[in-house]
Amino acid sequence: MTEPASAQEITISRVFDAPREVVWKAWTEPDQIASWWGPHGWTNPLSKITMNVRPGGAFRIVSISDADGTEMPSQGVYREVVEPERLVFEEPADGSWHEGAVSVVTLSDLGDGRTEVVLQATIHTSDDMRAQAEHGMKGSLDRLAEHLV
Amino acid sequence: MATDQLSATFAALADPTRRAILARLAEGEATVNQLAEPFPITVQAVSKHLKVLERAGLVTRGRSAQLRPSRLKGEALREAADWLAGYRRFWEGSFDRLDAHLRQIQKGPAND
Repeated sequence: MTEPASAQEITISRVFDAPREVVWKAWTEPDQIASWWGPHGWTNPLSKITMNVRPGGAFRIVSISDADGTEMPSQGVYREVVEPERLVFEEPADGSWHEGAVSVVTLSDLGDGRTEVVLQATIHTSDDMRAQAEHGMKGSLDRLAEHLV
Repeated sequence: MATDQLSATFAALADPTRRAILARLAEGEATVNQLAEPFPITVQAVSKHLKVLERAGLVTRGRSAQLRPSRLKGEALREAADWLAGYRRFWEGSFDRLDAHLRQIQKGPAND
């Protein structure tokens, strides 16, 4: 499923002050997704959300910019749905943005009413870009970018 | 940035020696000989790396005389970093909002 040596990987994690079942529902129910999906400044009308949360099921969430009304669709297919701990979804190629991405969302019960969510995204880019992930390019880029500022 | 340009940038960044060259150039311009010094490779090999970096728009080289000092061009690198940062920003923002959402739904009476 994942190809760590052939794509960009980004891992983001956060501990939420909510039981795992509650967090799972927030990821799998459209009216909850509407409240939080996407970066700040984007609204997700419930009428523009479709989610068929099962392996092979499709999802589409259209986020609309509060600033200028720009639409930003997120869409793809669920690959794994293991309630309440694991959700894997795949997004198809998206113009110049990427050539497909797979996101693995892992929900861990911390045992004290809190839940850790780890999102590991494997982003496929072009063939030329694939060879380099194993070299830890991300860290190098960050450091180089710091130099440049 | 066009995908082709971004691909060239990432391909150029794939090589650890080229990244080391970029890190050196981030401190200031340098000649091929100066760049070759810390590496166990020939000046010719460094020249080849510089050509790749130049094609990727990451480095520019002086045209004067034989020294032709290389210097870093920040734009392509910044755009490559921005490209990854955009993905991260999407999810960091989403997680902020998810956190607020979870607090909100747990505050009131259960509405399941």
